[in-house]
Amino acid sequence: MELLLTALPAVLSVGPLAAMVGSTLVGVFIGALPGLNPVMAIALLLPLTYSMDPLVALGMVAGIYNGSMYGGAIPAILLRIPGTPASIATTFDGFPMAEKGEASKALKIACWSSALGGIASAVALMTVGPLLARATLFFGPAEYFWIAIFGMVSVGVMVGSDPFKGLLAAVLGLLIGTVGIDNLSGQARFTFDQTWLLGGLDLIVVLVGLYALPPVLHLAEKRDLTGLSSAKLKLDAVPFAKGEFASLIPTWIRSSAIGVGVGILPGAGGNIAAFLSYNATRKASKDPDSFGKGNPRGVAAAECGNNADNAASMIPALSLGIPGNVVAALVLSALVIHGLQPGPQLFHQNPTLVGGFMIEMFLTSLLIFFVGGIAATRVFAQIQRVPGVLLVPSILVLMCVGVYVINGRVIDLWVMLGAGVVGYFLEKVNVPLAPIILGMILGPMAEQSVRRAILISRGDVTELFTRPLSAVLAVGVFLVLAWPMLKWLRRRRSQQKPVL
Amino acid sequence: MLGLLFLGLGATAAILSRSYAGASGVYPLALGTVLASIGIAIALRAMYAGNKQVRELVTAPGSLAFAIIASVGYLSLIVPLGFYTASVLLMLFLPLALGFRRLPYLLIVTAVFMLLVFIVFSVVLEKPLPAEFWSLRRRG
Repeated sequence: MELLLTALPAVLSVGPLAAMVGSTLVGVFIGALPGLNPVMAIALLLPLTYSMDPLVALGMVAGIYNGSMYGGAIPAILLRIPGTPASIATTFDGFPMAEKGEASKALKIACWSSALGGIASAVALMTVGPLLARATLFFGPAEYFWIAIFGMVSVGVMVGSDPFKGLLAAVLGLLIGTVGIDNLSGQARFTFDQTWLLGGLDLIVVLVGLYALPPVLHLAEKRDLTGLSSAKLKLDAVPFAKGEFASLIPTWIRSSAIGVGVGILPGAGGNIAAFLSYNATRKASKDPDSFGKGNPRGVAAAECGNNADNAASMIPALSLGIPGNVVAALVLSALVIHGLQPGPQLFHQNPTLVGGFMIEMFLTSLLIFFVGGIAATRVFAQIQRVPGVLLVPSILVLMCVGVYVINGRVIDLWVMLGAGVVGYFLEKVNVPLAPIILGMILGPMAEQSVRRAILISRGDVTELFTRPLSAVLAVGVFLVLAWPMLKWLRRRRSQQKPVL
Repeated sequence: MLGLLFLGLGATAAILSRSYAGASGVYPLALGTVLASIGIAIALRAMYAGNKQVRELVTAPGSLAFAIIASVGYLSLIVPLGFYTASVLLMLFLPLALGFRRLPYLLIVTAVFMLLVFIVFSVVLEKPLPAEFWSLRRRG
């Protein structure tokens, strides 16, 4: 509580407030544009925040994140095209509602559900985050090593459809993270006598390439020359029917709890939270068959679930320095850009910033009530009239200017382009990109922790397994790695069962 | 194919790591070995799955090639022509190459967008960007 009270005056100043309002609006716009996603938007934003106050920069990240998670519901409901991957489940009942002429009601429910899910998630961040940070005071280098490995392995295994490819991506990220001068010994690694590689590959440069270029290339492939007609985007305001609001409350409570739980787990993103919330609501319903045919509770569950994941995913990121998803990784990058070291010490060294960011996650969720109203949604929906082919060069220009201003080097633009093209093809062969970024972030931490732990124990490697907490974490890593194998064995056994 | 690619990458990383002094080589050596092992596992799995059908990687090769070539051309022109000149050329050329034919619409979008980029980056944020060719010529 003290953390939040310290930060409140700083957050309520003009700069962070303007950043939150502006970026929430931009976030809804981006979410409303199919093909663009919050990760891409935040990746493009980060290079611009170098010279900004950290609270302003984090306010912008919070606004874009919460805004775009709601914005994704607009095309999901109106066109059955999810604006973001997290809004896939919103299409199940949102689009049938639109077909029945209830688009406005579906959008209103999506707005309320997103805002309430986001608020519940921010409250969880404010309460659980500081507790977890306090617990980490007992951690040594061995524990940090295992936490980094646990974060990466669980993201690698859980993101995407193929655990092998997820792990492959994580190891690739770890390897990219070793490029440059080794901090502990001064040895240059994988630099090939290139001076620009001595500092390693810039995380933001690779990130912008990996996350912003593939959607641009997809847009180019689609060759959308017209955009949408305005007739498809007409909406009328509809109030809640009597009793309708109250009937949604159990769904909001259930989905918020599921979203927060999923958010804390590394690797499970908003799309998983939305699917789990949707399924739980359907199972709890007296009329499960009405789901998929325009049940308002389906929209409420999906939207509340995916927004409840947002702030909760920051809990391990802020308290342990372990990002649970790519947006959390971007938040950590934003902290690093401003010379701050993520992890438990951040709570003690910079309480205004940590508490401020928590409040910003809360306030930007609250803002959705205001920017997500039917009048605003009418405006946001218009973004879909822009032909896709015009977005392709526009985003390319923004990517280049954003990357160039980081170090003022043209070589970074080529690295970005290379990373983007590689990212495009990796996605095509189902290799997830998130573990690469997490590997780049957590790699140096994992390496330094393991080398420190071995140094402290005078070369005794068993130190990594014999401390009680590190042993528990090591078992956790083993279980996460064994999980896909157990699943495969179970599936095989069920396939081999004779049919009676 | 993917497995073999990462087998090669991991093996190369492991071989290069052997020349690094002391502990600084152990970590990348381990990573290279793990990457190569996962590569082998993926290659073997693909081999035993027996799926000989080639997966379609690109849905519209022409458009994708245009976009990549235009990006490469754009990056190549940023230094000799300057950031804004190269960006205007990209804004005009790429949509036309992809089949967009509403020229007035394109010109307006380009002008408004580039003006916004100029105001945000050069006026408000005062970020130094690669200089335009005409300003360099004038300076001699």
